Amino acid sequence: MTADDFLLLVIQYFGGEIQGRTLLQKRAFFASVLSGVDPGLRFDAHYYGPYSSTVDNTLGRLRALGFVSEDNLGFGVAPSGFEMRRYDYRLTDDGKQIVRVLESQPEFQAVKSACQRILSAGDPDYFTLSIAAKAFFILRKRDGKGMSRNEIIGEAKKFDWNITPDSLEKAVSFLEQVSLVRRRNNEEN
Amino acid sequence: MYFCLFFAYNSGMLQGLELRDPIHGFIQRDSLEKQLIDTRIFQRLRRIRQLAMASLVYPGALHSRFDHSIGALHIARELLDKLVPGREREKDREIVRLAALLHDIGHGPFSHVSEPLLQKYARPDKVGVESCDEIHEQISWSVIRENGELARHLSEVEREKIVGVLSGRWGCSLYKDIVSGPLDVDKQDYLLRDSHFCGVKYGVYDRSRLADTLRVHADADDEILALHSDGVHSLEQFVLAKYYMHTQVYRHKIRLITDEMIYRGIVLGIEHDKIEWLKALYSYDGTPEFIRNYTEWYDDRLVIEILRPETPDGKAKQVFRRLLERKLLKRICSLKVEDFVDAEIRRQVFTPSMEFHSALEKRIANVYNFDEDLVITNLVKFKPGTRTESDVVVLTPSGPRLFRDESLLFRSVNQSLQEENYFEVYAPVEYDDEHRKQRREHEYKSDIVKMINEALSIANNRTATEGGAS
Repeated sequence: MTADDFLLLVIQYFGGEIQGRTLLQKRAFFASVLSGVDPGLRFDAHYYGPYSSTVDNTLGRLRALGFVSEDNLGFGVAPSGFEMRRYDYRLTDDGKQIVRVLESQPEFQAVKSACQRILSAGDPDYFTLSIAAKAFFILRKRDGKGMSRNEIIGEAKKFDWNITPDSLEKAVSFLEQVSLVRRRNNEEN
Repeated sequence: MYFCLFFAYNSGMLQGLELRDPIHGFIQRDSLEKQLIDTRIFQRLRRIRQLAMASLVYPGALHSRFDHSIGALHIARELLDKLVPGREREKDREIVRLAALLHDIGHGPFSHVSEPLLQKYARPDKVGVESCDEIHEQISWSVIRENGELARHLSEVEREKIVGVLSGRWGCSLYKDIVSGPLDVDKQDYLLRDSHFCGVKYGVYDRSRLADTLRVHADADDEILALHSDGVHSLEQFVLAKYYMHTQVYRHKIRLITDEMIYRGIVLGIEHDKIEWLKALYSYDGTPEFIRNYTEWYDDRLVIEILRPETPDGKAKQVFRRLLERKLLKRICSLKVEDFVDAEIRRQVFTPSMEFHSALEKRIANVYNFDEDLVITNLVKFKPGTRTESDVVVLTPSGPRLFRDESLLFRSVNQSLQEENYFEVYAPVEYDDEHRKQRREHEYKSDIVKMINEALSIANNRTATEGGAS
């Protein structure tokens, strides 16, 4: 599956519209991980968590082809200095037509199920997904070695993220609900 | 005189090791850098041109990967001296400088034209890489790790660290940012150098101001390359330089045609003429034997070997003779996204597909009685690197922001680049005069749009019927 097709499907299965580039990045990240479909997005460690420039470039291409529309609006300054301007992406009528064609591809069901798992796990906002993505990204690189809650908070601090215990709990719960992490009972932190 | 010698000694430089460069003036090298530059593997870069056969349109564009690599070393030295000071990090600075110097060491004949060929002919059973970028990178890393000459001057630990900087697996993010990030020394050098040798001014930007406003943004255990908010306009100028170089030089129609002709000539040499050494050159399998052979080749050697009498007459010879004599294919048609009303047809035209595009080439050749091997379809689109300026962190008084949020101009330029997608067809035609050329081009365009619509409508209807039947 190409990156173009993958992103069209991800937008479709989140209601035909995704509000915010960061949210789209993180949803695409988890949709790829959970579906096992690798459309070559090549997520890389980035200042704001796992990030794929291919996602950004693909969105530009889909916009150029008239399959996705982009609106952006000023959103003020968040305390974290994060995403001042929000970019919203919506499937156009032509984009919806392409999605109907794509739904005949064998891998579409895996992408659809992955998006539904994210939705069923509470459909977290971009901030929670960012924390979850960062934690998962680091955990995956540790080849199965665990990470305590304090370590996650420590990692987040390195990125200037102001994480409350609440938001951390949300991120961990999300990862648990989609079966990407297992909580150890003996965790003290 | 004594003062000069003393200064040179104290700054780790040796007198007589400077190079004079048309872009940066005097470039200093220390003795290790000189030794590495003097190796056979590095000297090979003199014979790999930076812009393949762009000299067929810009006669001055004969500069090489050699000049560019030394330019990158120079900029890396300036940035590192400013951003990573201190005696305790002297060794790190050296490693990053050497990574800049060696970043193109794995380039093959005609630079980037080789990359899709490596991807096409790589032995998937032997290598686990997905993109041509990765194969190209892996070749460079293998050269740095395994080349005997480099190993005489660099320890195994040093070579691994250099590969680590290039792959982002060693050192802080700042090091990777300097060598291959959105503001890396590669781009900082090639924009100015390509501009100079092509004889254009499009790639010129204020490098000293940009360097002046670059900063290190550090947190608990990592450092990244960031920009002071005063540098936003100099980065905008850099982005514009890149934009103009893409539209005016890198995507000049003759350059696109020559690149496609080189690619087609090599593919024909492998698949039609069955030239075994050519096949071996691109059948990447990750072995030291492949790397040794690959790094023996350079632009002129490939052309000479293809054209020598011992090589059987065939399609590759025909294409390379055309290149040598500048009997180039011509662009007979350039279509934009808006030329296709139907969404599915638009998607298929602008998605790389061997099956569709080669069938179309055959049909065009058939209709106009062209040699089908000399009809080439090409998708022209902007291919940004793995990280664009979009992600550069700008240090503003109210905290770190991303460049794309700070610069309205960047968003417009980036959008323009992404929206410029063309589907082009090149063929062996000659025109008697400009008037006839325009008339023929108009006819070709309308015929080809019709051919595409017909071909894809039939294919789509067939798929729909099959889908319905099942």
